[in-house]
Amino acid sequence: MSEHIDKRILDNGMVVLAEPIANIGSAAFTFLVPSGAATLPDGCCGAGTVITDWLFRGAGARNSRELKDALDGLGIHRAGSVTSSHISLGAALEASNLCGALELYSDVILSPMLEAEQFDLSRQLALQGLMGLDDDPRQKVMLELYEKFYPDPLGRSPMGKSDELEKLGAAETAEIVKSNFYLPDTILAIAGKYDFDRVCSQLEKQFSVTRPRTDRQIKPGERCGGYTHYKHDGAQVHIGLMTPTVTIASADYYNAMAAVSVLSGGMSGRLFTEVREKRGLCYAVGARYNALKEYAGISCYAGTTPEKAQETLDVIKGEFNRLFEGISADEMQRAKVGLKSTLIMQSESSSARAGGIASDYYLLGRVRPLDQIKSKIDATGVDSVLGFLEKNKFTDYTVVTIGPKQVEHNQDPDWGEGTR
Amino acid sequence: MSNMEFKHTQLDNGLTVVGEINTAAQSAAVGFFVRTGSRDETSEVSGVSHFLEHMMFKGTDNLSAAEVNEAFDRLGAKYNAFTSEENTVYYAAVLPEYLLAVTELWSRLMRPSLRRQDFDIEKNVIKEEIAMYKDLPQFDVMDRCKTLHFKDHPCGHTVLGTEESITALTAERMRNYFSNRYAPNNMVLACCGNFDFDSICSLAEAQCGKWKPSDVSRELAFYTGSKDKQRIEKPNLVREHICLVSPAVPMQDERRFAASLLAMIIGDSSGSRYFWQLVEPAIAEVAAMQYESMDGVGALYSYIRCGGENVSQVARILGGIFEDLRKRGVSEDELQKARNKVLSALTIKCEQPMGRLTNLGFNWVYLQRYRSMADDVAAVKAVTPTDVNAIVAEFNPGDFTQLSLGPSRD
Repeated sequence: MSEHIDKRILDNGMVVLAEPIANIGSAAFTFLVPSGAATLPDGCCGAGTVITDWLFRGAGARNSRELKDALDGLGIHRAGSVTSSHISLGAALEASNLCGALELYSDVILSPMLEAEQFDLSRQLALQGLMGLDDDPRQKVMLELYEKFYPDPLGRSPMGKSDELEKLGAAETAEIVKSNFYLPDTILAIAGKYDFDRVCSQLEKQFSVTRPRTDRQIKPGERCGGYTHYKHDGAQVHIGLMTPTVTIASADYYNAMAAVSVLSGGMSGRLFTEVREKRGLCYAVGARYNALKEYAGISCYAGTTPEKAQETLDVIKGEFNRLFEGISADEMQRAKVGLKSTLIMQSESSSARAGGIASDYYLLGRVRPLDQIKSKIDATGVDSVLGFLEKNKFTDYTVVTIGPKQVEHNQDPDWGEGTR
Repeated sequence: MSNMEFKHTQLDNGLTVVGEINTAAQSAAVGFFVRTGSRDETSEVSGVSHFLEHMMFKGTDNLSAAEVNEAFDRLGAKYNAFTSEENTVYYAAVLPEYLLAVTELWSRLMRPSLRRQDFDIEKNVIKEEIAMYKDLPQFDVMDRCKTLHFKDHPCGHTVLGTEESITALTAERMRNYFSNRYAPNNMVLACCGNFDFDSICSLAEAQCGKWKPSDVSRELAFYTGSKDKQRIEKPNLVREHICLVSPAVPMQDERRFAASLLAMIIGDSSGSRYFWQLVEPAIAEVAAMQYESMDGVGALYSYIRCGGENVSQVARILGGIFEDLRKRGVSEDELQKARNKVLSALTIKCEQPMGRLTNLGFNWVYLQRYRSMADDVAAVKAVTPTDVNAIVAEFNPGDFTQLSLGPSRD
């Protein structure tokens, strides 16, 4: 595994990080632009998704068609998404086209045309995507879960709200781009095959722009929590559940990851074994660690037919709570091997690694070398994980269900319940 | 990339072992490719291939289901299986030091117990999977349209089966299906990445050498499709989900590269004709086409999602796209962009041994030959507009089967 991270801070303050991967012919990069869903002004939910489409409808000297033709001409596989904190613009391509691709992306980030007539098309697509979510309860339940779990506005759905999207205007959205695309808070991560000096000297030229800082303090408010049910006349009840845990900066982070791995690391994980293998309650069930910078949780999804929904939720919560009772040495060993092998295999994928580098830098202010992660995983054990669980009991679960039938969720009387 | 080496051998019972060795890789991948799927089923065992795939994880006479899962996880394996109309594939990606162990585990699992008790519990999981896909209209519409398109051709058989066929299925029938289809002469063992081929061959001989071959076959016939049109109402839906299917060349046909580029020109997620005429102007939020090459038959599948108010406009635009395609064909410029996208996708997929495994395995299953990444790159580069236009002329993608799923119309 590579131990070498290239780092340069450009004159404009933007950080460039890169890690080589041997013996591959491809490269990938990720720009994290600080304009995520939580950074948007109130009443503009969904603007991040609109912006992600709008940026590519013409930039620099190229109109929409010329820009997309140029991107396609380089064979670029594009990935754009909106997280709580950032707009993430990713690309994977043959390494020989890397400089050409970065040139196009510098136009997209620094000089998008942002034409009003194109805005309306981007806004309509965002609205349609939001309506399409009603036909995808599995995705919707998790977006609703994050919204209820994280303090507002951190858990906002990047897809937005229809009434706000209906009202969103081109001028105010262009203003968001102007004030949020602050380069010293923008991160560029590259992985794969590249020439770092050449990339940096090119970036110095293309990104030689300074912009004033805008004060964008986010003050997290209340968490909604509790239980929410949405009526949907589908075949299954889709269950999302989430409980708080430590952030990636915590000394206990690797213990939390090991605990999640015991629960759901592989097919011998407790959730798969108890919910699916022994009881046949579900096809899909799994838990994962889910983190923002200041807050984190362990989230879980399960989809099941209505008559089995209550038992499914009860067994899942039972397995979360049963972790405190003990973990066997063999389970712990499997959890650690699973975490390490995921890590090494991801290090072979340029896109996965570029995304990992960028998110590390945002969350921690540094990139964790792979060998360091490996030794931290090795250092965990049954005692350290149980010690962590003792300090961080799962006492509050946020639960969201979508489906034809509601469930009972009475975890803690302090948390209210609501139905829609 | 350039240091990949291909090796292959065949055991006396007909099991083929193929390997692509890349000593620079950080991981290795293995797969058993069984040439069986829903097209090989009779209607009374509809869904048995997929149900059997689940049962293969339930262990052998000496291994319980829990022990199987623990054994995979102890090796840190990324493992799973999938079933299609014509293949059932079992795979695992591991760190190089665990490849022999994970291959041995899969080899043992290929001779399962198929216990009645496991069968009964897993039946519930299969029914949950059927229910899950009912809540995924994007999948549901493609599955239903495939059945409408292929009609009596076996490629129209549903992979999951139905609630009724799964309820009626017996363990005995599954065992009979297994003993015919999971014969060594109907299977390929493929490995990719950083591993030693001779050790894999010795292991295959020891573990699989005693498996008995069978008289196994598959009916192959080309089919141009029903071209039927149908709309199904589902009151819980909000959007219109549209699937189009038209015929194309089979996997065995060299023109498959041209067919795949044609699908990209018409329906890639960016820069395609669908994109510019449907998605970019916000008439449909999704419009995509993909080419599926199968055994002796092939098809172009389109999926379009839009609001009910745009359905007629979408139909008019689609008509225009296909008419223009038939009259004017594709240009060198758009073909060049499609080639670039296909080539970079190939390079990205090749980063990991797991990405190479399906290419390696399927090339042997369908073509009984090895194709390196360089072979595929050369084939994509060699496609001309004339090749693509010849496919358009022969198969006329504008003459399609169509199925739509959408809300009730008042």
